[in-house]
Amino acid sequence: MGDSDYSFSLTTFSPSGKLVQIEYALNAVAAGATSLGIRAKNGVVIATEKRMPSILMESHTLEKISFISETTGMVYSGMGPDSRVLLRKARKFAQSYYQTYKEPIPVVQLVRETAFVMQEFTQSGGVRPFGVSLLIAGCDEQGPHLYQVDPSGSFFAWKASAIGKNMVNAKTFLEKRYSDDMEIEDAIHTAILTLKEGFEGQITEHNIEIGQVTDNQKFKVLTPLEVKDYLGEVE
Amino acid sequence: MSRGSSAGYDRHITIFSPEGRLYQVEYAFKAVKSVGITTVAVKGLDAVCGVTQKKVPDKLIDPKSVTNVFRISDHHGCIFTGLATDARAQLQRTRSEAADFKFKFGYEIPVDQIAKRLADINQVYTQHAYMRPLGVSLIFMGMDDEKGPQLYKCDPAGYYIGYRACAAGAKEQEAINYLEKKLKEEEKKLSFDETVQLALATLQSVVAADLKPSDVEVGVVSKDHPRFRILTDDEVEQQLTAMTEKD
Repeated sequence: MGDSDYSFSLTTFSPSGKLVQIEYALNAVAAGATSLGIRAKNGVVIATEKRMPSILMESHTLEKISFISETTGMVYSGMGPDSRVLLRKARKFAQSYYQTYKEPIPVVQLVRETAFVMQEFTQSGGVRPFGVSLLIAGCDEQGPHLYQVDPSGSFFAWKASAIGKNMVNAKTFLEKRYSDDMEIEDAIHTAILTLKEGFEGQITEHNIEIGQVTDNQKFKVLTPLEVKDYLGEVE
Repeated sequence: MSRGSSAGYDRHITIFSPEGRLYQVEYAFKAVKSVGITTVAVKGLDAVCGVTQKKVPDKLIDPKSVTNVFRISDHHGCIFTGLATDARAQLQRTRSEAADFKFKFGYEIPVDQIAKRLADINQVYTQHAYMRPLGVSLIFMGMDDEKGPQLYKCDPAGYYIGYRACAAGAKEQEAINYLEKKLKEEEKKLSFDETVQLALATLQSVVAADLKPSDVEVGVVSKDHPRFRILTDDEVEQQLTAMTEKD
């Protein structure tokens, strides 16, 4: 950061006191495919739409839900290339924490660091903010956590949240369906139903991705077969 | 108040426009098309083939020196579509990354990894103002001993994904429409010849003229010949003839 000729920030205040570059970045997120996350009693589930613009593209080569460490994972809405940068930094930070403390990183610390990186890019010279919002899911000693991180670098813990194109309807749906004593299986069903709400066309195991982490299981991305089973249960 | 504050810079460097788009990246895509060359690549059951137009701008130019198809390492190659000078820069970087990987880990970089690496480099140019995005689309083709034939495309936005068939350049959309029609049935198992001929047929259809071997460059890698190579004029002639005979 602080590139040679650009020692000034590209994100500057407008006369009304707004940082418009960040608002525009949020517009980029709102144009992205819908993603959502639900925190259950014993785990967290994150899910996303993965619609390919062409049948020629192979959907299994695109990983929207990725694991950061054994106990944490994330999904994004917005610009895919930007999310890869954040994913890499998050993974490195998680490993460096492990190297120092020989313990898996607490979720909130990982989120804080990722948010810090995103904030840096809104203030440093010669760079633009990230065009992604992230939903980071993880389980640590305090229990299951779901965090949302925005391009501004602000982060909040959520019981359930949605980002991307259909986030308003999805969040309304989640508010109605969420209950504090949900188990992970209910959460997965609810996640699928929420995605179905705003889905154009037929939902199949190839055009959505689901990831889950529980108290006693590592973070994993469900295989298409597992997703197919859940879709069948929901029907 | 929000209209004047970006002062029109969103068209000059890669910062967000009010709708959340990156104009410089979109203009880079236009630059890829501006050269007037189209590339088509198809992945078959155990082969990958990429075809690109070869336009020699002047009769005095040695046609052997005009090429957009390059070997990156033993089992894979790349076709660059777009600005020739940007393509050279990317090629150097690609070869250097592949060689680095081989040196560090002792085996050839898998196709999806090199595609990812180049895509990440492209992403940096879309986020840092000091370097513009490059006006090149890269199509990587290779043979992986575990996963079989691989086909990946990287674009100026830093996006990369695997394809069954893809296109880049001036007539990209027409080529994609043609390929989607041909590959609509799920699991078409294309043989080596069928793969090459589909790629050639697609290119022929979008340029709306009969192709001659001197008009195209064809790069292939297959299970039987896992070394990436460019077909000779005679081999291309063979495939073109077989193609027309089928019609």
